[in-house]
Amino acid sequence: MKRPGEWLRCNQGVGFMLTLALIAFLVHLELSSWVHRKVRDGFTLGFFPVLAVVLLIIFSVIMILDTHRKETSGGLKTFTFKSFLGGVLIIIATWFYFTVMRKVGFLIITPVYLLFFIYTLGLKSWRKCAVSAIVMTVIVYAAFTAIGIKLPPGILWVILPF
Amino acid sequence: MFQAEALREAFQLFFTPEVFYWMAIGVTVGVGVGAIPGLSAATGIALMLPVTFTMSVAPALGLLIGLYKGAVYGGSISAISFATPGTSEAAATVYDGYKLMKKGQGRKAVEMALSASVSADTASDLVTILVAPPLAMAALAFGPAERFWLVVLAFTLIGSLSGKHLAKGLISASLGIFLATIGPDPVSAVPRMTFGVWWLSGGIPFIPLMIGLFAISTMLEESIKLLRERGIVQRVKVSIMKGLLMKSGAGLTFREYLRCWKEMLIGLSIGSFVGFLPGLGSTVGAFLSYGVAKQASPEKKIGEGVLEGVAAAESGNNATVGPTLIPLLAFGIPGSISAALIGGALMLQGATPSPRMFKLYPEIVYALFMILIVANGFNFGIGRIFGRLYARLGLLPKSLLVPLIFMMATIGSFAFRGNPYDVVLALVFGLLGYGMRIAEIPTAPLVISFLVTPMMEANLRRALIISHREWIQALFGSPLSIGLVVATAVLTFISLKLKGAGMAAESREETEKNSH
Repeated sequence: MKRPGEWLRCNQGVGFMLTLALIAFLVHLELSSWVHRKVRDGFTLGFFPVLAVVLLIIFSVIMILDTHRKETSGGLKTFTFKSFLGGVLIIIATWFYFTVMRKVGFLIITPVYLLFFIYTLGLKSWRKCAVSAIVMTVIVYAAFTAIGIKLPPGILWVILPF
Repeated sequence: MFQAEALREAFQLFFTPEVFYWMAIGVTVGVGVGAIPGLSAATGIALMLPVTFTMSVAPALGLLIGLYKGAVYGGSISAISFATPGTSEAAATVYDGYKLMKKGQGRKAVEMALSASVSADTASDLVTILVAPPLAMAALAFGPAERFWLVVLAFTLIGSLSGKHLAKGLISASLGIFLATIGPDPVSAVPRMTFGVWWLSGGIPFIPLMIGLFAISTMLEESIKLLRERGIVQRVKVSIMKGLLMKSGAGLTFREYLRCWKEMLIGLSIGSFVGFLPGLGSTVGAFLSYGVAKQASPEKKIGEGVLEGVAAAESGNNATVGPTLIPLLAFGIPGSISAALIGGALMLQGATPSPRMFKLYPEIVYALFMILIVANGFNFGIGRIFGRLYARLGLLPKSLLVPLIFMMATIGSFAFRGNPYDVVLALVFGLLGYGMRIAEIPTAPLVISFLVTPMMEANLRRALIISHREWIQALFGSPLSIGLVVATAVLTFISLKLKGAGMAAESREETEKNSH
């Protein structure tokens, strides 16, 4: 008998959570007025989206019942809330980098983003991190400029030739 | 069907310095991407897609096809060097390749992998050139109902054959259908499923979806792994690689290459057939060829570190590269992720793949055929000259590689249209892709069904208009439709058998490897 925490990680648990979420989503769709609006050829606007959600529910239910239901995927075995948080933080940091890059400029903020990212991932020499970050930034900037893709110049727009 | 004028135009499109330049860049980057464990052809192509937006069609195809071919071969370099396949399709190369490396014959093994890859790839490209046009001509006779069934056939094959778990493959395919319905309705153009978000009213753009699913999700997984393993120093035994890295290591002789003709022929036949069927992929091609070659010639002792084993596995995976484009060119249905990405690039260039492609854009199809053949020469040259250098790429620290790719993925998704919301989408799909990876839900069915759903929906609705909303008449009204329904069942059965055989060969090799 699996404990609840373990059960949620196995295919049956994943299928169960997916089914619940999808049923809730289907109810939300059915309650939306646009779904039932008819278009020129007689189909409702929501016919295909609802069909896709119904298919998702059917296959999620199969996941709960089929012969693989007791198996746990390798990734979920080692998955922790901390690793999930790490992933979300990287995504937020990247979005922050992108937002700042549009204002300040690619050449200024990218070395800083790379420096901290490289250091966090395990290269423990600040000097090596800084050199790598600057070299990578310059190479990527040169490559993108060479193929005609303009990267945000930011506050350097006055001095940059491209 | 053959159009001389179009061929002349294709020559004009193809014979430009730009095409050759980008093809060389594509192969160079591709072999590198393949040689680095954790990166795949799909990651490389997804990262390069925004770049193709600034090019005309032939250089764009040169870059992507070159990258695809290079990456499929490149996977063998790290498989032979450190017993870590750079891509999953090179996993079968490890068995003999790494043993040859330990015997000090690493250079020979890498050159055999290159020669077998290029030979099988070239021959399978010729098969593609011969098979795709008549199939496309036959597909022109299809009406909306038949086209609808063709897409259903592709869904069934791709959904049921990707990954080890049938339900997960089908969940992924359904998720692709769902995502494809976001945006304007194909008949009335009224926005649907936008959740009140205005920038979704045009639908989900292809490039941020691809970058998110293949580049960001992979790098997210690698980052989390690195954060977890911080402090654990991975030491690679560089001394084992002496036979490859030293110039003095003996290279492959022409006699040794010819000795492996039988294994390459097996790889070519199996790889071409597997590549043609949507959903199976080059990993199945490699393992099936390896298993069959081993059984066909027990006296050659494949599995104990012989060149024949490398030849069988590498010709088996590279022979899928050309034929995987057949369903795309003949029916508009991509047979693999890489074919889907190449199809996406064609769509971005305004040449949507469909059976009418041979009629509407014959010059592009002919130019693509030329690129398919000539890119093999680049693959051979670049692989041969820089083989030793590529072997060192696998030693590159991930802590440098991951941030670099993250940054390139971010600016790549923005550079495509200059729209900041594309970056939001890429990051969201990165998280979705990461979730799918850890739950072992394959991403290939999602991408392929995302691309073909508009075709399926439009054809079903057209068939219903023609039959005055009579569903039975619309779906089963012609013998061809019924034939396609039967073909769906038969092909799914055959493909499941082939997949089973491929997986059995893989587990047999794993068991043998562990027992040694």
